[in-house]
Amino acid sequence: MIGIDALTKDFGEGPVVDAVSLSVPQGAFLVLVGPSGCGKSTMLRMLAGLEKPTSGTITFGDVKVSDGESGWTIAPSRRDTGLVFQSYALWPHMTVAGNVDWPLKVAGLDKAERSTRVAEVLGLLGIEQLARRYPNEISGGQQQRVAIARMIAPKPKIMLFDEPLSNLDAKLRVEMRSELMRVHRATGATSVYVTHDQVEAMTMASHVAVLNRGRIQQFGTPRDLVADPATAFVATFVGTPPANLIEVEPAQDGIAFAGEILPASFPLDGPAQAMFLPETLRVSREAGPRTIALEFAEASPVAGRVMVTGARAGLRLTAVVDDVPGFMPGDTLYFAIPEVPAALFSVDGERLA
Amino acid sequence: MTFSGTIARVRAGQLPQGLVLKLVVLALLGVLVAAPLMRIVLETLAPDAIGAWTDVIASRLSRNLLWVPLSNTLILGFGTAVICVAAGGFLAWLVVMTDVPFRRTIAVMATLPFMIPGFATALAWTTLFRNNRLGGQSGFLESLGLTIPDWLSWGIVPSLVVLSAHYYSLAFAIIAAALASINSDLVEAAQMAGARRARILSGIVLPVALPALLSAGALSFAEAVSNFAIPAILGLPVRMQTMATRLYGLIEIGQSGRGFVIAILLIAVSAFFLWLGMRVINGRRTFATITGKGGRAKRMPLGAARWPLFAFAAAICSTTTIIPVLVLIISSLSTSSSQLFSSWTLHYWLGASNPDFAQGQAGIVHNPFILDAIGTTVTLGLVVAVTGTIVGLLVAYTLARYRTGLASGAIEQLSFVPLLLPGIGFAAAYIALFGTPIGPFPALYGTLTLLVIAATASLIPFAVQSGRAVIQQVSGDLEESARLTGAGFLRRLAAITVPLAARGIVAGALLIFVKIMRELALVVVLFTPATPVLAVLAYRYASEGFAQFANAIAVVILAISALATILANILQNRSQPWLKS
Amino acid sequence: MVLKQMLYSTAVAGLLTAPAIAQDLDAMSVDDLLPLAQQEGTVTVYSFTSRIASVEAAFEEAYPGIDMIGFDMSSTEQITRIRAESDAGISNVDVVYISDAPVVVTELLEAGLIANYVPPRMDGRLDDEFTSPLLAQRLSTKVLMYNEEANPDGAPVDNLWALTTEDWTGRVVMVDPLQRGDYLDLMTEIVLQSDAMAEAYEAQFGEAIALDADAQNAGEQFIIDLFANDVILVSSTDDVNAAVGATGQDNPPVGFTSYSDRRDNEDEGWALQVANDVAPSNGIIFPALIGLATNPANPAAARLAIDFLMGDDSETGGPGFAPFAVPGDYATRNDITNHPDAVALDEFIAWRIDPVASAEIRQDVADLILVLQ
Repeated sequence: MIGIDALTKDFGEGPVVDAVSLSVPQGAFLVLVGPSGCGKSTMLRMLAGLEKPTSGTITFGDVKVSDGESGWTIAPSRRDTGLVFQSYALWPHMTVAGNVDWPLKVAGLDKAERSTRVAEVLGLLGIEQLARRYPNEISGGQQQRVAIARMIAPKPKIMLFDEPLSNLDAKLRVEMRSELMRVHRATGATSVYVTHDQVEAMTMASHVAVLNRGRIQQFGTPRDLVADPATAFVATFVGTPPANLIEVEPAQDGIAFAGEILPASFPLDGPAQAMFLPETLRVSREAGPRTIALEFAEASPVAGRVMVTGARAGLRLTAVVDDVPGFMPGDTLYFAIPEVPAALFSVDGERLA
Repeated sequence: MTFSGTIARVRAGQLPQGLVLKLVVLALLGVLVAAPLMRIVLETLAPDAIGAWTDVIASRLSRNLLWVPLSNTLILGFGTAVICVAAGGFLAWLVVMTDVPFRRTIAVMATLPFMIPGFATALAWTTLFRNNRLGGQSGFLESLGLTIPDWLSWGIVPSLVVLSAHYYSLAFAIIAAALASINSDLVEAAQMAGARRARILSGIVLPVALPALLSAGALSFAEAVSNFAIPAILGLPVRMQTMATRLYGLIEIGQSGRGFVIAILLIAVSAFFLWLGMRVINGRRTFATITGKGGRAKRMPLGAARWPLFAFAAAICSTTTIIPVLVLIISSLSTSSSQLFSSWTLHYWLGASNPDFAQGQAGIVHNPFILDAIGTTVTLGLVVAVTGTIVGLLVAYTLARYRTGLASGAIEQLSFVPLLLPGIGFAAAYIALFGTPIGPFPALYGTLTLLVIAATASLIPFAVQSGRAVIQQVSGDLEESARLTGAGFLRRLAAITVPLAARGIVAGALLIFVKIMRELALVVVLFTPATPVLAVLAYRYASEGFAQFANAIAVVILAISALATILANILQNRSQPWLKS
Repeated sequence: MVLKQMLYSTAVAGLLTAPAIAQDLDAMSVDDLLPLAQQEGTVTVYSFTSRIASVEAAFEEAYPGIDMIGFDMSSTEQITRIRAESDAGISNVDVVYISDAPVVVTELLEAGLIANYVPPRMDGRLDDEFTSPLLAQRLSTKVLMYNEEANPDGAPVDNLWALTTEDWTGRVVMVDPLQRGDYLDLMTEIVLQSDAMAEAYEAQFGEAIALDADAQNAGEQFIIDLFANDVILVSSTDDVNAAVGATGQDNPPVGFTSYSDRRDNEDEGWALQVANDVAPSNGIIFPALIGLATNPANPAAARLAIDFLMGDDSETGGPGFAPFAVPGDYATRNDITNHPDAVALDEFIAWRIDPVASAEIRQDVADLILVLQ
């Protein structure tokens, strides 16, 4: 449904989006995730038609909507897309109903049709009672719902979301997440969702593209990403908590883990980064055969288990364990690591094995 | 818990001090603002003056004393407001929201006209457009063989044009700031909805900017109705009178009773329409946009219209800034406005007294009156910059510190009142109040002190505004933490607030200085030979037919103002948010 | 402290102006005044003519060490200032040189805001009408002038009523009578001379005058008609001069201005000439008065300045009077010869104003003009 090919955007200070290619089918929920400044919002704006690509193409279905080479792009309004802005961009001088109604009015729908549709989408979002209020008279969560209602009212085939939940508090965010999923299912549209929060990405996406510095690090399902990260960046970016990376190096009597030689015997040609999933680490007060000593940093309960973090200069490890004795800051912890890492990455982050 | 308990106790302990501060500020504003107003009203109610009300409102004189000037005033007020909002709004839109070339230059140019004294622009107009209605010397355009009709030379039309050329920069600044605060997402959301440029402008941008448009219009209106010099210079030959010129005329010929009545009515008219404007604005919802991380501010591409629109903007800017200034400079060098580019002389600048020239008036650098006036004016400007800043900070601090309560409400209202008062009416009130001794205090008429007090009072709203900006710069937390250490008010002010805000304070003071330098309406009535002020001197030279001297003085004022403004900008280091790309 | 100083200086000022001392100063000769004046060092003059600048230069040359500060201010403005200063209990001025006799005599002199001082040197050199109630230095005029370059055969107007005809629509210039007392005096005099105006009307139009409902006499009718004929109001005499007198005009207007401004024809490029053959008159002739501030800060220098303004003992009046020894001004002193180029005073047809009669109806005339504007 959405095809992106070698898409590049350069504002004149080096590429912000750098030769990105991917495609998702009709009805997919694509999440673009990455740290701030990674180019995800720019990509979304190119999908919306608000920016022209410097090169590369975007295709919706069979229609090419943007072509960087020829500098040709279809106007935002004619792409059959809707966008929810991070700031919601509600028009402050219109009521909630007015905000939802205006795009329909611009589209030339007649009055009866419009009021039916407005009532329908307000009902869908559960905000019928706010219809006559102004944006500054309702709460952040309600504004969010209005923004979504406004976006879906013209029934776009593609729904675009630009970090829509980032201005909400944590509880509301979780609530709105499922709300969005529900809207996505109800409309059957293809969604593209931009966020820097990998939890959102993991929970909502059918497809995830992890972006860093304008490039795609990995594109796949959430499960692929956690189980089989393509780069060290992805490994440390996704998952709750994210995977641990330890610098490893072949040594005389085993392998040096962050400078500490431990008995281990997986094949290793030179310096590399070894990935260990948090749930595969063990923690104890005593040293063991394959343990690394760290100072206790923090512990927090997660879904009936406990997430423990230990740190020292240059190394920070997190383990998820069933039970943990009462540590105090300053205590020394021994993290036991499995014999074989879940994955190996080169020093510059490429996947080795 | 204990922590906030401590704060509460400290606050409770400070309460009497807060009350003292509030009362002091209230008393100050009472003397500066309320007393002159009450006095002027009482003055017209005295038994021998009460007849002036009938003369003005209901006699055979009323038509020319009140109604005709009133309608001219309203025409000029509304006309100026509309033109200012249109021109200022257009330029603000270009600069803030589009990709028009040379945006920065346009933005700077659009703020310049406010620095040129209004009467100077009027003089520049007559230099160019004067026709032969007055016989004698004709203007530059007629000397080229063009025929300039009366309506273009004199009266409402040129007054309207010159007033608008003077005040549109005010509207520009207000609207540009408002447009800059409009999240570009709002426009893009409309683009997503498929609206075209015109629809976005009329459906989204204009309604959201409406409060700013209204307040720009209301302020332009207030400034235009109280402007005295422009209609005086351009209106007399066709007998056009506004309330401001009528008021000046009545005060000058000693009919102060009628004058005060006109002043009260002028204040009432100005206040009524400003109040109406504010009401409409407040009645609307405040469109504080919900802030979020705004994306890269996207400018509306103008496409093929880019250069034509730029040309139009450049035309507006250059006709209101470059041309008047050039005309002033050139005509201060030429003996006749019909020969701007020949018969040049430096006499009006450098010449010694010579009976052959301008009845023996010496050029600026030798003219004792002008030199005297430069000294007086600069002194006045500096003193008022200091007094105004102090009052402004005091009021702003009091209001920021004690937001609620009857006294705070009164302070807030009173500090806003001078904005409603035309300078010339304000000055009339000051003469009424301080023209005679009050108890043990001597009369202040004819003293620089009176000018300082009146100018300070008239600038209170402006000074409070800059004061607020300064106070806002100083983080409340810092001050709070200093309070917890037990530092007293003055100590806090000196140790924390002032050092943090010094630049803003100096910049604000300089802007007050600039406003004083070119102020005419306020000082023209308070002027006495003992307190010569440049703007008045220039106006008098102009009305006595020594246009070159008037123009030369205008150039001097302009130069001083420009220097101070540049200095203020450097100090303030104020990045104009709408210029950021 | 400041207050104490102020009280003290007020007391001193009061002492100085006590009648005894004032009388002493009044009787003093120039030689006696000079050292006192030099001690004072300065004297401030409000003057209704810009020619004060020339007087100032001559005075400072004649009496080094005394700084004359001359302010050029219209009579109307002077009156307002002096009243305001008096209300405020201050005195910024020592000598007023002023016209607008109807107001000056009734509202300044009789109210005690200024005093009369006749220098002893002037004994016998002035007719009584010029020494009382105020000293008159010369006679000045506001009369009909025309452009002699465009009208080489003489004045284009021979009857004031012609100014109300189509020929002169929008072509008569004068200063706004509500801004300058001299012009209000001119209008007032026209009303006072209603009989002569009625006669002139018949001469111009061949029929007796018929008054409008709002005109009470021929004078008022003239003013009404003049304004209805789009008389052009300007803000200063020099604007009238430039409008009427500027050379190179095809069809210059006529206007009411000072006959003596003809002296600037050459310097300013004007061709001003008086119309002296006009029925019933060409305007007014009125005294230029000199008054002494009631509480002058510089009492000796003030008297010296007044003495200087009256001219020296020579036939022309010397440097002090030189700026006024021009065609169109008429000395009040009987021993100064008037300028030979001007119309002789006894042939000059302007009306001599009557300050007292003028003062009575002046406000009514002003209100009439206000209505007409």
